[in-house]
Amino acid sequence: MTTALSAATAPATGRPPRGPRGLTWTVLRLHRSTLIVWAVVVLSGAAVLLWAYGPGAHAAQAEWDRVCAGREACVWGDPIYDFDRVFRAAGSGLTWLPALVAAWAGGALVGRELENGTARLAWTQGVTPTRWLAAKLTVPAVLLTAGTTVLVLLHHLVSDAHPLPLGRWSWYTEDNFQANGTAAIAAPLLGLALGALAGLLLRRALPALAVALVATEALGAFATAASRDLVPWETAVGTLKTGYRTPAHVITGDQGALTATGARVPDPLCVDDTQCLAAHKIVGYYTDYHPAAHFWPLHLVETGLLLGAAALATATAFWLLRRRTP
Amino acid sequence: MTETAIEAAALGKGFGRRRKQALDGCSFRLPAGSVCAVVGPNGAGKSTLLSLAAGLLRPTDGTITVLGAAPAAVRERLAYVAQDKPLHPQLTVADTLRYGRELNPGRWDDRTAERIVAEGDLEPDARIRSLSGGQRTRVALALALGKRPELLLLDEPMADLDPLARHQLMATLMADAAEHGTTVVMSSHVVAELDGACDHLLLLGAGRVRLAGPLDDLLAAHRLLTGRADASLDPHTVVESRTTGRQVTALVRPEGPLDESWQATAPTLEELVLAHLRAPETPALRLDEMREAAV
Repeated sequence: MTTALSAATAPATGRPPRGPRGLTWTVLRLHRSTLIVWAVVVLSGAAVLLWAYGPGAHAAQAEWDRVCAGREACVWGDPIYDFDRVFRAAGSGLTWLPALVAAWAGGALVGRELENGTARLAWTQGVTPTRWLAAKLTVPAVLLTAGTTVLVLLHHLVSDAHPLPLGRWSWYTEDNFQANGTAAIAAPLLGLALGALAGLLLRRALPALAVALVATEALGAFATAASRDLVPWETAVGTLKTGYRTPAHVITGDQGALTATGARVPDPLCVDDTQCLAAHKIVGYYTDYHPAAHFWPLHLVETGLLLGAAALATATAFWLLRRRTP
Repeated sequence: MTETAIEAAALGKGFGRRRKQALDGCSFRLPAGSVCAVVGPNGAGKSTLLSLAAGLLRPTDGTITVLGAAPAAVRERLAYVAQDKPLHPQLTVADTLRYGRELNPGRWDDRTAERIVAEGDLEPDARIRSLSGGQRTRVALALALGKRPELLLLDEPMADLDPLARHQLMATLMADAAEHGTTVVMSSHVVAELDGACDHLLLLGAGRVRLAGPLDDLLAAHRLLTGRADASLDPHTVVESRTTGRQVTALVRPEGPLDESWQATAPTLEELVLAHLRAPETPALRLDEMREAAV
């Protein structure tokens, strides 16, 4: 009798005290393989970036000093190519991450559960659909943010430290710029929200995956473009004598010719033809650009746009779910 | 314990833009503690009704009250096993039971769930995707009973099981329900699997309630008559009559004393259900409110 009683009470008191519980446990357990993939991505990404920061950069620097320092032109060898490849691959990976996350979220987190009916299993376990979706978004959002933050910080470290004057590693090159700031942390969250929304709308894993991929890429590109216009451009003006005076190492925007009234007109491509210039009343040239000092404003505006879109997608997903279920 | 397990009033559910009615003006009342069979042809609205009761669908018309509240408010007190027995294929049997424990804190009964799984000789570390249909049904039922529901909603629960497993699981289910006073609602189109297990009947046809009430009362309200083909069946309500040669067999609802010339027997559940399925024009009969009126 005593043994029977203690056996009956054992599950209540003898529960494993550590580790996640409830919905968090179910999300982690159900998506364990994805979790492992994510851990491998973050760890290998971090390892690669740390290599680039340490041995990779040292070897590249040594190669540069050996064959290039103080010369106009030089042909360098493997150490610099290796560094270049690794660094750019890391930047590119960080830029592509949101689309992959979106595909996973839309397909596996939400779409598949609606497709195979397991969402209904969860909703009849004393878990409201709202709490279910909240867990499905919160757990991956936390893990994603933690992982991408580590990678972005490391990427920024490598980007800041590299001493070689090579144009394609400049602050403004696409992969480097995106992977170096907060936009790279916000973009996967937009992917997650869009993926969940697509999963809820389509209730199928594969179509949700495809739609989320396209939508995340499109909105990401839009946010990048919009942020460039939302942060006021600097303008460099050149005379007929100097021509364009676009500074080096900037993000260039609109370019063209100026008339005497200060109006911006398309460059008639007269070059040195004074008759042509007079006919078009051209007195100078302008270039809109973002200098390196605009790095953070650009990133913060883009981050704001991405997070705003993510919030909107999340709100829509919850609204849709609440409308559909009692 | 709540007096009424399920009460539906003018319940309707339409799907799609054209609002194709899966359920239309359904009203019935099911007392707590009963074991109710929901019977009807394919497309009668059985699954829709169970989904509404489980709080998974929102009615388009009318109301449904479960355990005295809206279904969505009593999720933790009811269990639902869908027709296709959805389970996560990548989980093991043990993890599936842990899934139930994690999502039903304070209610979950490990011993019940583990016993049902053990009775089926299932390895705890077998993956769900490796199980047969019948084994999945067993795990789904273990998950449902493990949460100690007050109301158990089962949609075609035994369809995947061989006769032996069906008999054994039904016995487990009924013993568990009787022990804890659980209300059980199970849909089926195999009437034979419900006979002897159920004390209430809800017959649906084309989204409407055709018969509702305690099984004994419903059976008592009908008589299977055999007699001469030219004898009159007035004034009784004829559900179905068949003439073979000079003899007629009819299922009727007696509206007065039966003529001596008829040979009258009580119909079986199967005869009652089949006659109503073959005669969809028969007026609905609801006996589920009589007890309420008597109180």
